[in-house]
Amino acid sequence: MELILKIAWRNILRHKGKSLIIGVILFLGSLLMTVGNGVISGMDHGLERNIVNGFLGDLVIIPGKEKSDNVLFKMYGESIDKIANYKDIKKLLQKEDYIAGFLPIGRNVAMILNEEEGDPGYAMLLGVDFDQYRRFFPNNFESVEGRLLAKGESGILIPLKHREDVYDQMNVWLIPEGSAVTDKNLSDDARKNRKYLNVKHDAVFMGMSDVYSSSDIRLPVRGIIRYNALNTIWGHFSIMDIESYRRCLGYFAASESAVKVTKEKKKLLEMDSSNLDAMFGTTDFVVADTGKADISGISFKRKEIPKTSGDVDLEDGAYNLILVRLKDRVSLNRGLSKLNRSLASANLGVRATTWKKASGFIGSMATLIKGALFVFVMFLFLVAIIIIVNTLTMAALERTTEIGMMRAVGAQKGFIGRMFLGETAILSGLFGGLGVLIGVIAVKITPLLRITSDNDLVQLLFGGDTFMPYLSLGDIAVVLFELLLVTFITVIYPVKVSRGITPLDAISRD
Amino acid sequence: MMRDTIVGRIPNMTSGRGARSRRKGDAKNIIEIRNLVKDYPLGSTTVHALRRMDLDIQEGDFLSIVGPSGSGKTTLLNVIGCIDHATDGSVKVGGTEITTLDDRQITDMRLHRIGFIFQTFNLIPVLDVRENVEFPLLLMKTMSKTEVRTRAEKLIDEVGLTEFVDHRPAELSGGQRQRVAIARALVTNPDIVLADEPTANLDSVTGAQILDLMRTMNKIEKTTFIFSTHDANVLKYARDIIKIKDGQIVKG
Repeated sequence: MELILKIAWRNILRHKGKSLIIGVILFLGSLLMTVGNGVISGMDHGLERNIVNGFLGDLVIIPGKEKSDNVLFKMYGESIDKIANYKDIKKLLQKEDYIAGFLPIGRNVAMILNEEEGDPGYAMLLGVDFDQYRRFFPNNFESVEGRLLAKGESGILIPLKHREDVYDQMNVWLIPEGSAVTDKNLSDDARKNRKYLNVKHDAVFMGMSDVYSSSDIRLPVRGIIRYNALNTIWGHFSIMDIESYRRCLGYFAASESAVKVTKEKKKLLEMDSSNLDAMFGTTDFVVADTGKADISGISFKRKEIPKTSGDVDLEDGAYNLILVRLKDRVSLNRGLSKLNRSLASANLGVRATTWKKASGFIGSMATLIKGALFVFVMFLFLVAIIIIVNTLTMAALERTTEIGMMRAVGAQKGFIGRMFLGETAILSGLFGGLGVLIGVIAVKITPLLRITSDNDLVQLLFGGDTFMPYLSLGDIAVVLFELLLVTFITVIYPVKVSRGITPLDAISRD
Repeated sequence: MMRDTIVGRIPNMTSGRGARSRRKGDAKNIIEIRNLVKDYPLGSTTVHALRRMDLDIQEGDFLSIVGPSGSGKTTLLNVIGCIDHATDGSVKVGGTEITTLDDRQITDMRLHRIGFIFQTFNLIPVLDVRENVEFPLLLMKTMSKTEVRTRAEKLIDEVGLTEFVDHRPAELSGGQRQRVAIARALVTNPDIVLADEPTANLDSVTGAQILDLMRTMNKIEKTTFIFSTHDANVLKYARDIIKIKDGQIVKG
């Protein structure tokens, strides 16, 4: 091996031009791979950090009837079914020792009615017990205008981004009650129309549900908020107190008195609404009219601002999702499978999914971009491999006399092959290693530059507001493995050619 | 059948002076060739380079193969040296039938039993004189580093290149490079050393020195030397001479 490496190293120095060409290609390839992996890992880590810690938790429990796990970015008009048995689920979750915490929330879409005959607006709503929410996500947003919700208070917190959307849709500029327009927070369009701005402190929301009879409720805007990470993406989600949310979506609210449901009515309520034969085809269809059942369809009468919930047990009402945070060192997949086993055995009509699946395209964006970058890098490497293979093959053929003479004096084919492998490995180690090293340094330095973006897509690529590429030891190992693979692939054909050179070829060339 | 037209048991039938001296010693055959045929395809035709040749060469000989260009000298050396394959016939080197060996065995044969001196002083350009001479020994992996170095330096000394031991081939003259090739050919203590026109690229004085050296080494190392040439001046150095014409050995 010492002899092979000695010859290989001296041949590299002897053929400096070719060595440099191969070396530069390996260097650039390794650098690109390292930085690319750093960007992707940074995106992956950033998305995970920002989504798990600031928006969804690790796992999301969703109604069992939901066809898709993507509950965060469902299409408008597709509502998420409700979870009516939260207290039962809570008991189960409290017993699971791998769960660090959980938070029930409402999550659906509401229409914002335009009271001046204009187009309506839309709001993606998170219905929360605000105290619980802030305990679960202590630092995920900040108030930029007005204030946050007080305990048990009804109202809505609207992100900057959503306020701009509402202005674009309805020509209404929402500001918190009791406050004036803050000029610095105006969007460009709103600033242009500053004099004629239609300012409102409240809005009428009508839940959009394809199953339940929603209501329209008037709610005051308590504050304008800004999410601390991925604001341009999360900024579409307004935070509403859970009781208002329930009324808006037509769910039984916790503050409403309990309704005694007769056996017959319970059966009716459980029927599939699309199955008319089932509803009207039997003599069992006898409903006792208690006057309290919420089956009256959409009410067009705009309700007044609901009173605060007071001491009502909010957990009595319905939710749509339960966000679950796992304890440290519990892997996502392990936690998911354990939780799903528990939920299934308890027959609670819900299932758990990961934050990646629950966040739809955002969660899979990292995988998609990773795949795209991988294909791009592989394409570049394919080109690089072709160039290196060509250069090495030419080198092998140019050295026919030398190789043939070595074979003539007794070098086996394996020796010649190892000699070429040695040359490529040395080049790969030196130049590729340098590429990896510089790539790692670049990835480590970049976060210090605090590169930020407000663009949605760029934020996705960043995995947050700030560009934070990241490389784990595993990522570096992957890059080194890829480098090794490329080295091996590039050397196969030249080695085959060089092994095929015979002493006779050398003599014939002479 | 063809053997009727060519010279069999060549050392006895060529005009070499050494033939007589070796007969005195009853030396055994180091090379035995029977019915050797070598054909090359050339487009749609076939070139018959060697035509049913029989030949015995005795151990310790210093033999020259002569003949005009294209007569088959190099082809014969290549077949004997396990560099080229026979189309037909039998070739035994040191008692081993080489026509049936696979690539690995034939490479081992070249390494352990045959030394080569090429026309164009083929040395490994990235290795210095000592490393070039050590190269076959390092491939053999049978000696310690110290033994390898001692053996190589002994041969380098015998060819008179001790002061150039650290020089690369590019820093040597043609004659010096050929001396390195001789040392490398002999370093493994082979049964035979084959030299294809070893003086062709040298001036007459240097060529004479190389032939003198080869003959000296033949005496010192007791190694059989077979070299090809078409230079009449070179023939006087040979103990035995084989003349080849049109792929056949002819009487001289």
